[in-house]
Amino acid sequence: MQFSWEWLGEYVELGDDLEAVAQALTDAGLAVELVEEVGEDRVLDIDITTNRPDCMNYVGLAREVAALRGVPLRQPVAGLPTPQPGPDHDVVTIEVPELCRRFAGQVIGGVTVGESPDWLKRRLEAIGLRPISNIVDITNYVLWETGQPLHAFDFDTLIDRRLVVRQATAGERLTTLDGEERTLDETMVVVADGARAVALAGVMGGLDTEVTDQTTTILLEGAWWDPSSVRRTSKELGMHTDASHRFERGSDPEACRAAIERATALVLELAGGQLLGKTIDVRGTEHGPIAPIELSHDRLERFAGVEIPRPEVEERLKAIGFDLRPHSEGWMVEPPSWRRFDVVEAADCYEEVLRLIGFDRVPAALPPSEGPDAPEIPIHALRRQLRDRLAAAGYAEVINYGFYGAAQDALLPPLFGDRPALAVENPLSELYHLMRRNLLAGVVENARFNRRRNQEAVQLFEFGHVFWRTADREPKEREHVALVLGGRLGTPWERQLEFDLFDLKGAVELLAETGGVELVARPATISGLLPGVAAELTLNDEVVGILGELDEPAGEAYPLLVAELWLDSLLPQPEPPKVEVPPRHPGVAVDFTLTHPLDVSFASISAAIEESATPDLSSFWLEGRYQGQGVPSGAVNTTIHFEYNASDRSLTQEEVNERQKLLSDQLIARFGVGGTAS
Amino acid sequence: MENLDELRERFRRQAESVADRDSWEALRLDWLGRKKGVVRSLLSRIGEIAAEQRREFGQRVNELRREVESGLEEIGDRLTAREREASLVARRVDVTLPGRRPRQGSLHPVTRVIAEIETIFAELGFSVAEGPEVETDFHNFEALNMPPDHPARDTQDTFFVEGGQVLRTHTSPVQIRTMLARKPPIRIICPGRVYRHDNDLRHSPMFHQIEGLAVGEGITFGHLKGTLEAFLQRLFSPDTGVRLRPSFFPFTEPSAEVDITCPFCHGSGCATCSQSGWMEILGSGMVDPRVLRNCGIDPDRYSGFAFGLGIDRVAMIRYGIPNIRLLFDNDERLLRQVRR
Repeated sequence: MQFSWEWLGEYVELGDDLEAVAQALTDAGLAVELVEEVGEDRVLDIDITTNRPDCMNYVGLAREVAALRGVPLRQPVAGLPTPQPGPDHDVVTIEVPELCRRFAGQVIGGVTVGESPDWLKRRLEAIGLRPISNIVDITNYVLWETGQPLHAFDFDTLIDRRLVVRQATAGERLTTLDGEERTLDETMVVVADGARAVALAGVMGGLDTEVTDQTTTILLEGAWWDPSSVRRTSKELGMHTDASHRFERGSDPEACRAAIERATALVLELAGGQLLGKTIDVRGTEHGPIAPIELSHDRLERFAGVEIPRPEVEERLKAIGFDLRPHSEGWMVEPPSWRRFDVVEAADCYEEVLRLIGFDRVPAALPPSEGPDAPEIPIHALRRQLRDRLAAAGYAEVINYGFYGAAQDALLPPLFGDRPALAVENPLSELYHLMRRNLLAGVVENARFNRRRNQEAVQLFEFGHVFWRTADREPKEREHVALVLGGRLGTPWERQLEFDLFDLKGAVELLAETGGVELVARPATISGLLPGVAAELTLNDEVVGILGELDEPAGEAYPLLVAELWLDSLLPQPEPPKVEVPPRHPGVAVDFTLTHPLDVSFASISAAIEESATPDLSSFWLEGRYQGQGVPSGAVNTTIHFEYNASDRSLTQEEVNERQKLLSDQLIARFGVGGTAS
Repeated sequence: MENLDELRERFRRQAESVADRDSWEALRLDWLGRKKGVVRSLLSRIGEIAAEQRREFGQRVNELRREVESGLEEIGDRLTAREREASLVARRVDVTLPGRRPRQGSLHPVTRVIAEIETIFAELGFSVAEGPEVETDFHNFEALNMPPDHPARDTQDTFFVEGGQVLRTHTSPVQIRTMLARKPPIRIICPGRVYRHDNDLRHSPMFHQIEGLAVGEGITFGHLKGTLEAFLQRLFSPDTGVRLRPSFFPFTEPSAEVDITCPFCHGSGCATCSQSGWMEILGSGMVDPRVLRNCGIDPDRYSGFAFGLGIDRVAMIRYGIPNIRLLFDNDERLLRQVRR
């Protein structure tokens, strides 16, 4: 908000040091962000926060400067002549007393509408306002001086020469001063004459009743409008005005009349004319007296963490218009009318004292230690470990937006059945109109982005929430982790590695191991994944994730392998597993190669080995797979490594060979097209 | 007896011509071989020696044997040394060749900064709290003293989802959820994704925040200052200056914008800080009593402070990332540079 240095100087002695004043204001919460030279004047751009509508005008700002500099405030005073008989209070009727708590006005006849004097134009122009005519300029001037928005009607254009403050009717139309025809509804408040709306309350006047150079009699309006009502109306109609900005933050209920008197005095001075009737002052529902606030000196100091002498508290608060009476060990404080909505309890007074003495006065201290707060939440600990392990395993973390478009939503089915997507009602664009149901859409896009940039390999992961809605439109969300892998890693020097599905599956197994769970991969048909290279990941028969190769058109540099998991499924088991002490006796190892049809799964072979309960077989693993010369087509050689160990003695090769032969024969009989032990 | 001296001389000559393992082995067999070795054949002739000379003969042959043995050992050692030398030449490597590192991945810069901040606050006794990203109006606004028509809502352009809930515009709702669920003392930080309806060169519609909350008996404004100083000096550098300026947030009172001395120029003024030497880094304040009351906490007994920090900007400062969009392009060439 812009303020002219010259204009401000009318209400308070500023001294020569603009920098010092600017700094003092900033330190007190009125941040001076920019100072610009405008002609011979300087204009301060001040960030006035929404809680300080009282400072959105010259007198209010000057009050702060006066308090900070310890100099008096010079309030403008308006002496008015005795009015001629004429319309006064009867002119205005308030039908919505809750929303219009006060309506002050003045009818002035015989005015000469014309140009404003230079000093007035200069002040308005300095803060970026366009001078229009003396009457309109005076209303703007007084708004900026006192903070009370005013409006001037051409009194003779008002049908029945009266005003009614009422709700608009649905579909009622009003052309506002900016020339736009507005369609109103019942939630809006208007000022109407005998027949029609003539102003949008607290926002903007109407075009038909505006002051023109033909106008001779004016009605000035200065009212108090309900903040929420003004805000709803201005938002609904997309109209943000100097008036609405102030009303929606809460204007001073006591300012209406004084501002009318001030404007009236200026009109008489600059446009001539005489008062017709007394000053109008009609009240709606009273705000009631300002409730005094009990302020304890002791509690103030304990809140601040610094000593603040009593006289200083009094002096500081009185300087900004607060009334203090001693009470108990502190005071009863009555804030001024222009702060009555902002200052209602002790904490509001603490804030005032602290900002006025300056935050620098308070020494920094650490709070007394109460020991640690709650222990780390399990999902946080899990995520931290998984991230570290994935990063250590070569994966780079990405972060995508939580929303995406329909095309991404269609890439893969939602992980957990047919749950409807949750739509964003006001998306940035159609590209972002759905909350994501899976992470892979984003991660796959990242992988493609990197693949297009000729990255030899991509290896990415993301943690994030996925969203959906229930049948009764309740939003739901939960956390997933997604991985994507593809390409070839390393130079011949580094011993190249070509990623395939089992590199990715290994990473998934690593994640499962971190939580202490075992996920089972089951072949599945998943749209978006290559048929035959896709699996559901299950835990206790519940699907908790997917794994597979992305089904892409031919011609890409390399395929992308993808996985996504529900993070909760990996939540660590309470107890870490106990170790097995390694046997003292050396074991005996045997490799066995089974030639079997391709559709025999490794899982079924493993299960058969487990079921055989071969004595002293301590572990076995896949040694290798081979297809090619010497292996019948449609079959594959699976070489399995077996380790035998007895806990109490050394086994001989002969007894192991005997047991392995039994096992191998079983496997061959059940699955094989032949097998050899080695 | 002359004979033995001659033999000794012969061994010395033969020994001198041994050049490799094979000739060494031949020499050994020649002299110490069990069947035809010189020493063995001498001993087998002991019967031909006169009885009174046998003892002396035996001694002299043994002497010869020891000399042959030690001679062979000496030559053997020399050969071993020479062989090792030869093998070392063959095994020599160029130690300046690059090492093969296990491929390391990377944590996102934002994750790294969050983890770092979590560690600092863990040291200060704060724990991490989390909550949903789709929030109710109550948790995101109303409980935070932002009723439906409050003008402060203008500063938080909000995404709405069907059904009327919002994408949280800050992580403050997690503070509300925590205060509703737990009694003071509470010391938490709430990291997470937040959303604002904003998309230009300087803003991303999704970004990250960490908010902090301490509620207890006797928490003062000085404690807010002290905690923020400790935090910011650990996050940036111990000589970081911290300045609080009064401001306004609906959920704190008093509220303060917090500046640090510019981490690029350390306060001397540079282009990044518009020559001011300062950089705005976070918002903070004492928890508004209305917020405490909304959460069932008695403001006459408890007080508290809260603060909120944008993490993305800290990550950009930390890693020299010039544009927030680069954080979410997810270009591996950039991400993989972030290793610590």
